[in-house]
Amino acid sequence: MEAPSSRLPASPGAPLKLAARRDSSAGEADSDSTREIKRHFRVCRFIMETGVKLGMRSVPVATACVLYHRFFKRVNLAAYEPYLVAMSCLYLAGKVEEQHIRTRDIINVSHRYFNSGSAPLECDKEFWDLRDSVVQCELVILRQLNFQVSFEHPHKYLLHYLLSVKSLVNRHAWYRTPVAETSWALLRDFYHGAMCIHHTAQHIAIAMVYLAINSYGVELPDGEKQWWQVLCDDVTKADIDAVISDLLQLYDMEAKCI
Amino acid sequence: MDRDLLRQSLLYHGESLFNTLKCEQTENPDFQAVLPDLCKVTSERGEEQGSPLVEQFIARKADILFSPAWKTATLQREEHDEEEEEAAEPYAIMPPLEIFMEVSYQERRSVMYRDLERGDVVVGRINNIREYGFFLTLLCMAGGLKRDIEDLDLSALCHVKEIPSTGSHDDPLSYYQIGDFIRAGVKDIDRYQEKITVSLLQSCLSPGLDHIKLGVLTKEELPIHYSRGTRASNDSSQTYERILRTCHGYHNPCVVDYLLEKVQISDIHPPSMMRGLQSKLFKEEDFASSIRKKQSASWALKCVRAGVDHFKHGRHVEAMNEYNKALEIDTNNVEALVARGALYANKGSLLKAITNFEQALESCPDHRNAKKYLCQTLVERGKQLEEQEKLVTAEGLYRRALSLDDSNPEAQDALHKITDTIQKSIRLREEALAKEQTKPKGGQTSADKLRKILKEEKRMKKKRKRSTSSLSSSSESSRNSSASSSSSSSRRKSKKKKKKHRRSERRSKRRSRISSRDSRRSEEGKNEKDGRREKEEDEEEEVEWYPAPPNTSATFLNQKGGPGFRVDEEVEAKESDERRICHLYSLSAASDNGDSDSSRRERKRRAKTRKSSQSRSPEKESRLSRSKERRDKNRQRGKEESRRNSDSKRRSSLDENRKRKVSCSSADSEFSRKSGFQSEYPGNGSSASKHLEKRERHESSKRNSFDDGRYKTEDADREKESSKRRVEEEGSRSAGRIRKTSQNSAGNGDGPGESAKKELPPHLLNIFNQIAQFEKEKGAGPKK
Repeated sequence: MEAPSSRLPASPGAPLKLAARRDSSAGEADSDSTREIKRHFRVCRFIMETGVKLGMRSVPVATACVLYHRFFKRVNLAAYEPYLVAMSCLYLAGKVEEQHIRTRDIINVSHRYFNSGSAPLECDKEFWDLRDSVVQCELVILRQLNFQVSFEHPHKYLLHYLLSVKSLVNRHAWYRTPVAETSWALLRDFYHGAMCIHHTAQHIAIAMVYLAINSYGVELPDGEKQWWQVLCDDVTKADIDAVISDLLQLYDMEAKCI
Repeated sequence: MDRDLLRQSLLYHGESLFNTLKCEQTENPDFQAVLPDLCKVTSERGEEQGSPLVEQFIARKADILFSPAWKTATLQREEHDEEEEEAAEPYAIMPPLEIFMEVSYQERRSVMYRDLERGDVVVGRINNIREYGFFLTLLCMAGGLKRDIEDLDLSALCHVKEIPSTGSHDDPLSYYQIGDFIRAGVKDIDRYQEKITVSLLQSCLSPGLDHIKLGVLTKEELPIHYSRGTRASNDSSQTYERILRTCHGYHNPCVVDYLLEKVQISDIHPPSMMRGLQSKLFKEEDFASSIRKKQSASWALKCVRAGVDHFKHGRHVEAMNEYNKALEIDTNNVEALVARGALYANKGSLLKAITNFEQALESCPDHRNAKKYLCQTLVERGKQLEEQEKLVTAEGLYRRALSLDDSNPEAQDALHKITDTIQKSIRLREEALAKEQTKPKGGQTSADKLRKILKEEKRMKKKRKRSTSSLSSSSESSRNSSASSSSSSSRRKSKKKKKKHRRSERRSKRRSRISSRDSRRSEEGKNEKDGRREKEEDEEEEVEWYPAPPNTSATFLNQKGGPGFRVDEEVEAKESDERRICHLYSLSAASDNGDSDSSRRERKRRAKTRKSSQSRSPEKESRLSRSKERRDKNRQRGKEESRRNSDSKRRSSLDENRKRKVSCSSADSEFSRKSGFQSEYPGNGSSASKHLEKRERHESSKRNSFDDGRYKTEDADREKESSKRRVEEEGSRSAGRIRKTSQNSAGNGDGPGESAKKELPPHLLNIFNQIAQFEKEKGAGPKK
């Protein structure tokens, strides 16, 4: 599928332009690629925040992020307004994951994100233009992704792994240690970067549990195999380390970007 | 900072983490507080080197990772219903990881003894039965931990005391055989001597697990994770991943939500290690729901404003559409509800209005307008109900109105009046009952009545003589001949009348009494009373009269009166819109009880008409014309008055009605009881006549709301006016016979009315006669 050369027919609207300005003022000295990564990071942060405000669950938010990253893997960042794409991704992800979000809410929350403290939009042309943009952009995304919009997420692996690992540990030690919360937080944070579409779901899940257990220094019994080895047939320590290092880079990125 | 957690982490990571921590968390006062404690621990395990990146991460995020608030899960003896979970399998139930990890026997055994707790559920096979109990070889865990223990040779004793006895006659052990699968609760663990005792009593289970039934199991009932575990250990191709993928629970679309709840993680306020995504940074007003709420309110308000604008310009349908649109946008928009309620109230849909105001007050209990309007509407509705004689309900509404606004004068008045009325009507009912019991026999009274009638008649003759003589003398002295001619004609007519009169009187003497009494009462306010009449009336008052027997002329009369009222009603309806609304109400809910009042009042009204016309009729021409002038003026004034007062009148009408009813019934209580509930009701079966009467009653009550004489005359004039029209209508429409008679009488007597008809037959024919005559007289007045 060819990328449309022009921007979206519908104007993204004033709030989006404002956001773009905010982005461009950040770092001119950076090279193109790092600037792009930072931009994506900010847009993903926007998706995360908006997702929380919309009451979206973790899986739809993860889907939205994957949709976003996959879309910009295929098209040039300059060709599309990333925040509009992000809004449409949220909308589409709600449909894909059966947690339907209304465009009105997406527009409202986004509008307030870009104009913090502002009054809600009136029911006027601006509102309807924004709504049209979101819906049309959703179609563009669908076509760019060849309508392949459902993905396997690490979330359910992670939760099953957590239950299995929990049985290995003394229950009091387990409840004293917030491994579940930490690994869930790490997994959500991992979607800030495009790396989430490069790793397999199980590896990501194992890496999250691994990092959480490691961080708290929880001791697991040693067998012929390590616990993480048996969870997935093809996982290696290198895979886990790769995921972890990608994730930790994102935390460094946060300090640089925001 | 959670000191224990931090210590655990430092123990694991060693010196290097401690150093990084000290660098990264220098500004964190929490960390500085725990620092002295941590110094002792770190040095013990320096040899294990982790990734410096991970350590840096831990150090940087230490304030989040080790914050006490970070941990959301609490130690609860979780376990949803284990059996239910196994049956439905909302998530993949996996065999213990140790099976795949191949952990050494020794380690598993020691860890098992460490982690097994009292109250856990185990499953074992009986390997030995003694007189003091049986021994189990433990196979697996069934609640609490999920561990692979089959090959650990763990043995547990179940003492005979711990076996629930099923009957008194048997040894409980006789139920159990070697090889039986037994589910049992752990009663005690001796970790040093490695001895486990179990129990089959439910009480030994920990609180979260006590729903699990203990006792013998079949092979099929063994826990799923155990059977999967044995399969996995026998078949090396069964990896964890493969088993996971074949589980039903793994494919459950809701598995993530289910497990999140199980591990106690909130997905609405999800945790994050990112500093910008800490849940404390999210403000409530930025959330979609609150923005939407605000937005809906503002959009709805816009619609309400448009609606109010429509309303002000009289476009009620458009206004209603706007209000409905507003409520569609924002279901409980207070302003829209109040506005719509006001519109409903305006349109007369009081019940809908009340509902709307109530809804508004529900979401905003202090809304001033909603309160005010609701109060007003309740009073209005109460009056409607009062009109329908639903006094208790109406009283309740007034009380509610007062509970909203205890200073509302209207509600206070209405409440006072209605409580009075209720008390009075109760008293009257009692009196009526008492009187009914002591009612004298009919035979004895008829003779009396006859005698009285004769007496009256005599007196009347005398009176007539006197009045005509006085009239003629006065006319001779001061007036011209026209007056005398009229008086003579009237005499002629009155003679004729008298005969008819007598006949009709016999038919309904009772009625005549009532009407004359009523007419007297209506006269009372007038200044034109003369002593003679008064005396006569006093005499009349002494006359006893009796309740109407059912199905007498009274019912008949009412039916005939029907068409006449309609004209009246139309005239009235033109006068004010609001009264029409009132009428609609009475249409929709005509109550049976109202008939007695209305019909009686109707009669009374007619009598009054007659009286007023008569009272003036014998007068001289000049006075006639003068009075006519005045009458016209008065009529105008009255109309104005009525228009001006229409609102208040409508309100007060009921009260007046009430008052009047009371006063009437105190005078002729028996009549009201009897005729109201027995004789008249059956006659007025059709709702049309009912509501017409209602209308009539309303009208008459309105008329009575004026207390002083001037208003009385005005009313009488207006009444004449309307009755004139009625006669016209009547003549053309239905009562041809009546018309004829009225014409006849009019043709016979072309002068002013006669005093002869003062007490007169109440019968409709006579009434019409009177009216026609009066008309004649009026028509004749200005000509001469």
